[in-house]
Amino acid sequence: MKIRLTFAALAFATLAGPSFAATEGPSTVKITGEVIDTWCYFSGVMGGPDAVVGSAHHTCAVWCAAGGIPVGVLADDGTVYMVMKLEGAAPLADGDALLEIQSDRITANGVHYLRDGINYLIVEEVVDNEGIVNLTHEDFGVVPPFTFPKSVREP
Amino acid sequence: MMRIQLSALAAAVILSTTAYAGSFSEGSNAKEWGLFGEETATFSGKVVDILCELSGDCADNCGDGTRQLGIVRAADNVLVPVLKNRQSSFNGAVADLLPYCNKMVDVDGLLVGDEEQTAAKLYMVQFIRETGAAEWSKTTLWTKKWNADNPEKKAIKGPWFRKDDRVVRQIEKDGYLGLGKEADEKFIAEWYN
Repeated sequence: MKIRLTFAALAFATLAGPSFAATEGPSTVKITGEVIDTWCYFSGVMGGPDAVVGSAHHTCAVWCAAGGIPVGVLADDGTVYMVMKLEGAAPLADGDALLEIQSDRITANGVHYLRDGINYLIVEEVVDNEGIVNLTHEDFGVVPPFTFPKSVREP
Repeated sequence: MMRIQLSALAAAVILSTTAYAGSFSEGSNAKEWGLFGEETATFSGKVVDILCELSGDCADNCGDGTRQLGIVRAADNVLVPVLKNRQSSFNGAVADLLPYCNKMVDVDGLLVGDEEQTAAKLYMVQFIRETGAAEWSKTTLWTKKWNADNPEKKAIKGPWFRKDDRVVRQIEKDGYLGLGKEADEKFIAEWYN
């Protein structure tokens, strides 16, 4: 019997294949962190993670949010929450509602889901906004370097 | 002895299927970008509204472009967030995925993400087709849609992100650093002069 059960388990594992599959949540959370551009942060397309946050990367984060790239909240423990909805939001994929808070350090109450290794956040209320406090331009300049158009750099 | 052999066999099978599910590079024609943890990846799956998939809060036609979309991969039922299309000017993937809302598609692109930063990789879609279709489409709909939505901008020189009304308003208000115009002026004086 034990052998048959083992074979059954083995057959199931083989057919089902590996899968995170299950969604954890919803759970209510209070998250404090910086609003970031997830593509540049995860892909490294503009450089390392320290350079694609804060004031150095603010304009790029605005461009990406306007371009419909998902916005995230980088929490103090390093976890990134992909924001799927923002309180009173206009269309998320157009990014309008999110432009205003790009690079800001916020505290938000919301609903958290974890699926297949990715954290998702529905922001129900931004309870505090400290503005931009991560002054990365002091170390990195601006990322990307063409952030300021030539007409502004060389008036 | 029999139990030991079976356990070893089970472990080997599970490990081999894990390796299979983690690699979707075979047959991919995606262009490499040299990104963190980059893997070319082609797979099939269903285009979904992520919010709907997670919470049951669904909208007609996946939100008609107002929600982030992903793909539930057929091979392992993993929900893959799609962050980017193939264009290089800060463009997301919603415009390219939306025509396939709740349909099965084949996609080709890049899985990205370093394991120190994320427990699962995220996706840039470069090519897409409805499953069963012969021809692939390049994912370039974002700028086409923006140009169609903003015909008055055609006469203005420069890429979309220099003339988009939302972006222009935001930079006008808070500056390029987001810290106000004085901070911008000080930065320009220190870095460019």
